[in-house]
Amino acid sequence: MILLEIALWFSLLSLIAFGGMPAVMPEMQRLVVEHGWATPAEFVQLFAVGQAAPGPNVLIVSLIGWKVSGLAGALVALLAVCGPAAVISWWVSELWTRFKDNPWRLALSRAIAPLVVGLILASGTILAMPSGPDWRTWLIALASAGAFLATKVNPLWILAVGGVAGSILLS
Amino acid sequence: MPITPPRNLFELFTGFLAIGARSFGGVMPWAHRTMVEERRWLTPADFAETIGLCQFLPGPNIGNASIVLGKRWFGLSGAVVAFLGLMGFPFIWVMALGALYQEYSFLPEVKAVVTGVGVAGAGLILGTAVKLGRDLVRKPAALVLVAACFGAVGVARFSMYLVLPVALVLALVASRRNWL
Repeated sequence: MILLEIALWFSLLSLIAFGGMPAVMPEMQRLVVEHGWATPAEFVQLFAVGQAAPGPNVLIVSLIGWKVSGLAGALVALLAVCGPAAVISWWVSELWTRFKDNPWRLALSRAIAPLVVGLILASGTILAMPSGPDWRTWLIALASAGAFLATKVNPLWILAVGGVAGSILLS
Repeated sequence: MPITPPRNLFELFTGFLAIGARSFGGVMPWAHRTMVEERRWLTPADFAETIGLCQFLPGPNIGNASIVLGKRWFGLSGAVVAFLGLMGFPFIWVMALGALYQEYSFLPEVKAVVTGVGVAGAGLILGTAVKLGRDLVRKPAALVLVAACFGAVGVARFSMYLVLPVALVLALVASRRNWL
């Protein structure tokens, strides 16, 4: 039963998504590719469609679910990736305030920070190579990273320029 | 400025709807504008504290924030209503966009544009990593952990289900020794 499989795998993903969705893209890509739900190139394209929509970047999972199993797949994937995290948030939010000055809370948040940075770097690297290493996709990715860091324009414009660059360089 | 939390579920719903529907190009700035500046549901400090918690928790950050804040104001129904308000519009939008894309994805030109958008999005993620990493530059142990996570997951492609527990234990040890 494909819906059950979607539910299971995306709930598992939810539990390791420290640092939010960007940090978990390497594992999501592996999941999608190994199940034959999409190729690495298609995964980047689905990621692109998700980026062009408003709202949380988690919505890429509903595109994957939809590709695999239609509207039901889309809903199941979204609820699965949000559900376990939501339950944890529900229970932890009070503890978090109660242990405000606890040294372990501080130690934990300091410990997680470098892991998240490393994982997000890995995500960006994997997504920048939709069909293996290619100077053209690297050029677009690094230019947009530079623009993001150097200016305060809405990232949507950077994505739009990326689309134009893609139509020139990649077709 | 007095703080005015949402008075009922309808206000909570429309607030999160306003965040979801407008947040092209990144949801956090819109969450701040809606909840802190326009509706004054939270003080800036309270917003920062809540978002800090949600960045620490696993899962989609703003999705977690809708649960935490919905619960704070209206319990379970608040959490559900805030989540639906946040996700409703973007979900419909992304489905429509996905359908449109599938219709035209056989065209090589469309594929090229969409791939360009995707790798530009990858660049935004790389930029975010650099931004977050700036605070860690003067901590050698943190840089080692960054490099180890990147190498294990991004280059060697080890599973995060293996890498994360190991890295977390090592990071906690380093953190308790004040290396981070």
